[in-house]
Amino acid sequence: MAAQTRPWNETLKPEGIKAYKQFVAERDKQVASFLEFDPLRAQGTSNERAAVSTKSKTLEGLPFGVKDNIAVKNFHLTCGSKILESLVSPYNATAIQKLLDAGAVPVGKTNMDEFGMGSSTDNSAYKTTNNPHDLTRVSGGSSGGSAAAVAAGLVPFALGSDTGGSIRQPASFCGVYGLKPTYGAVSRYGLVAYASSLEVVGALAKDITILENVYETIKGLDGRDQTSTDPNDFPLLKKEVKTVGVLADRSGLDGMQAKSLEISIEALKKAGFAIKEVSLPLLDYAVPAYYTIASAEASANLARFNGIRYGNRPIYSENPDDLVRQARDQGFGDEVKLRILLGTFVLRSGFQDQYYLRAQKIRTAIRNQFDRAFEDIDLLLLPVFPIPAFKHGDLGMTAFQQKLADKYTTAANLTGLPGLSLPGPVLESVPVGMQFMAPAMHEHLLFQVARALQSSLPSADPAAYPAVYS
Amino acid sequence: MDTQDLVTTAGMAYIQLSDKELETLGKAVEQMVDFFEKMGEVNIEGLQPTTHAFIKKNRLREDEVRPSGIADEMLEQAPDLEDRFICIPNVL
Amino acid sequence: MSTYKSFIGLEIHIQLNTKSKVFCSCKTSFGDEANTNVCPVCMGYPGTLPALNQEAIRKGYAVAKALHCNLAERCHFERKNYFYPDLPKNYQISQFAAPLGTEGWIEIDYQNQRKRIRIKECHLEEDAGKMIHAGDMSLLDYNRTGTPLLEIVTEPDLEFGDEAEILLHELRRLVRYLGVCDGNMEEGSMRCDANVSINLAGQGLGRKVEVKNLNSSRFVRKAIVHELERQAQILDKGAIVLQETRLWNENRDQTETMRSKESAHDYRYFTEPDLPPFSPDKEFLASLDKILTELPLDRKDRMSKAYGLSAAQADFIAEERPFADYFEQTVKLGADATNVAAWLCGDVQKVVNRENVAVYESKLSANRFASLIKLLDKGTISGKIAKQVLDLVFDEDKDPEVLVKEKGLEQLTDRKTIRGLVDQVLANNSKAVAQIREGDQKPLGFLAGQVLKESGGKADPRIVQEILTEVFSLK
Repeated sequence: MAAQTRPWNETLKPEGIKAYKQFVAERDKQVASFLEFDPLRAQGTSNERAAVSTKSKTLEGLPFGVKDNIAVKNFHLTCGSKILESLVSPYNATAIQKLLDAGAVPVGKTNMDEFGMGSSTDNSAYKTTNNPHDLTRVSGGSSGGSAAAVAAGLVPFALGSDTGGSIRQPASFCGVYGLKPTYGAVSRYGLVAYASSLEVVGALAKDITILENVYETIKGLDGRDQTSTDPNDFPLLKKEVKTVGVLADRSGLDGMQAKSLEISIEALKKAGFAIKEVSLPLLDYAVPAYYTIASAEASANLARFNGIRYGNRPIYSENPDDLVRQARDQGFGDEVKLRILLGTFVLRSGFQDQYYLRAQKIRTAIRNQFDRAFEDIDLLLLPVFPIPAFKHGDLGMTAFQQKLADKYTTAANLTGLPGLSLPGPVLESVPVGMQFMAPAMHEHLLFQVARALQSSLPSADPAAYPAVYS
Repeated sequence: MDTQDLVTTAGMAYIQLSDKELETLGKAVEQMVDFFEKMGEVNIEGLQPTTHAFIKKNRLREDEVRPSGIADEMLEQAPDLEDRFICIPNVL
Repeated sequence: MSTYKSFIGLEIHIQLNTKSKVFCSCKTSFGDEANTNVCPVCMGYPGTLPALNQEAIRKGYAVAKALHCNLAERCHFERKNYFYPDLPKNYQISQFAAPLGTEGWIEIDYQNQRKRIRIKECHLEEDAGKMIHAGDMSLLDYNRTGTPLLEIVTEPDLEFGDEAEILLHELRRLVRYLGVCDGNMEEGSMRCDANVSINLAGQGLGRKVEVKNLNSSRFVRKAIVHELERQAQILDKGAIVLQETRLWNENRDQTETMRSKESAHDYRYFTEPDLPPFSPDKEFLASLDKILTELPLDRKDRMSKAYGLSAAQADFIAEERPFADYFEQTVKLGADATNVAAWLCGDVQKVVNRENVAVYESKLSANRFASLIKLLDKGTISGKIAKQVLDLVFDEDKDPEVLVKEKGLEQLTDRKTIRGLVDQVLANNSKAVAQIREGDQKPLGFLAGQVLKESGGKADPRIVQEILTEVFSLK
């Protein structure tokens, strides 16, 4: 059994800070989850007046990691890209400000696939993050740094962003909880946009209660994000989960993934939930629709990075056009360039109807199909990724294979519905998680089922990194 | 998608492509575009496009001036500054 | 030229005078130190989002309504993608597929005829920053970035340069009436591009040339005149006009080809995911009426009918809303409209020009002006005295009645007193008297003038005239 742990809220106190810093530095040498770590930098940046009323007992004094595409004042905001290497954020994201006001403290920025484009965090321009359960494997992506930091016990929770599975997939690879809230439930202000209509800020944690508290803290209408939603605009259709849907067609899954799903179904039955098979044939079109829309939006969202107002600029350029082309050529990695080109192409006049507009209509069709499915079920159980955490580099998946594998995660982004990935059983060396999807603004159902499965499917500490804080 | 399409697209996106990139990225783009053809199988008749997942009420901001107070901080991030102007090379 | 028909459409951008920018809370202002009114949103910092300003969309809808447009029941924003250093995000948030107003019209008076120009659409967008060229460097200032712009696009219903100038003038007057823009072209709060084409009559539109860099209404006229001439010469030669964008060169008085690498732009418009669509509700639509007011041309028509004004007077008085308000207020206080108009367009204008003040903000309040005209109407003072009183109002900042009393400027109407003055004058001018008695009436005017002079300008000229006629038994 693990040795006695120390409480998280002592890490940042004068008597605990030194040990905490040392602990993180030591473990992160191998895991490489943080791009920047400085637990004292954010002190004193909470809004004191707001803080008095919103200070949360459960979050007060807790350190947390932040994916490096979410703005934290005075920290870098590289998004895992060279083009933003020099940028220091002059402002806080809304979610960060709310957590600060609740007494939690951002201690560092976590590694990620450049601008969120990837499923391994190997697409970072800075470093390779390793899966704490098996350092030869990826931690997933794009919020791989956040997932690894939580799994390795460096922070009790971390913020991530989910555009096509970027919270749920690394969470399932690393054996932690990962929540992708309803689109608009959490303000996107301060989240560097990759695909604006698909993504949302969410969180990862080992403890479901902490995760729920974080979600309750960061959600809500925000004047700075006019796409953020007022929870009161959504009728509370369901108070609790009774029936969980599972996909009738579970072909194409890796043996371990199928096994994880079967274990989950058994656990659900044991916990008293009814199981009902559902069919969602349009899932087959989620990936092409997703990549069409995401690339299109990315091509515009990333246009602002031109080396003029901030970020890296080429040493010499002849004229403005040359400056911008060089800055982007030197600053963006291949995967980013690919998606910008793709997105620019699908928006071009003459091609837009065939690709972009069609994808948006398929999005509507998928949404309708999910709405119908939720008439008969309260939650939907889905795999997260067809295979468990894969190996780094050539031993793993090609970029194209990784994209095809987003089938089960992208649906939540196309529909805007919330999804929670749960730590699954550790099969071979790594955990194999699964996810639940819920109706819009019904996150409470996700937390309910997660609690019910807590004892049968706990978040297991990696063998090499037993918990030191809890 | 032919090479000319790719070059035109890259021009619009301000992405400079070396000959090698033209080949490697060209292939990757083509692979994806071919993959997108799959969407042709779906009957989209009568469907409206979705950009905003949930239809919301009008969202408007009060017309109030709130100075950011961080103009100088932001200027410090500019790679090249002349007085308070951000500088770029000019076409001569 | 006469064999050709010309088609001119204008794209007019007006800066809406909101306090804060259209998508962020920075101040909108002209002439501040560079890069002071900026924030992460308008500087295009990563992670920021636009938040629509309710006054910007309200004023946009108000102008569209004043231009008789169909108001969109649901409009949304789009991203217009193009790279330019003064555009921080390298896309402009604009409207394309669903602009807030479509299919309206505006009327202009051109050569004594009223002409209706169709408005294609009005859409709301954000302004770009400013790029100043300085030798081998360009300097960027983002203060202007995000200022709300309403783009008004007309159909190609104009035919001549001076028509376009009048349209701009009318639109300027309209937005000033509504109080949504100061219409200052020199400072760029109103800007205009022109689409010009000509073709053989009956053959439809020609090849469109877009002319930019027109920063005064005079340049709009001159550039169009030049462009029509240039295109006619090309067609005369049997050649084809190149469809392109040209810039007005004010130093050379000509349009010139804009050096452009990518002539054919593909803006790749798509729905702005960061902003939900906007659907005006009843309350919003009702709030437009607070901005909307009687439009300049309607007011001109009404005033000219109601007060019997000449076209020139009505035009002059209707030019500025507070000016027209001042006129009507003065009339309402009981002054004779014809007199008010005549004085307002004549002597009053001279004085306020000299004092360099708008009459409605001057010492000559509507009350004072009305009492001055009433004194004149009643014959208490003569026109000549009224001019003096007018000057005195500005010099001493007092009411006309008070001044007339203090200075004893009432008109002399007592026949006996005037008769005395007449006798005195006749006695002193025997030569003139003799001349009249011999049948030459010419000196009559001279004598009348002498009498008036003798009275210090106060004698009622009508009575002087009557007495003189009597004396010489001319009736």
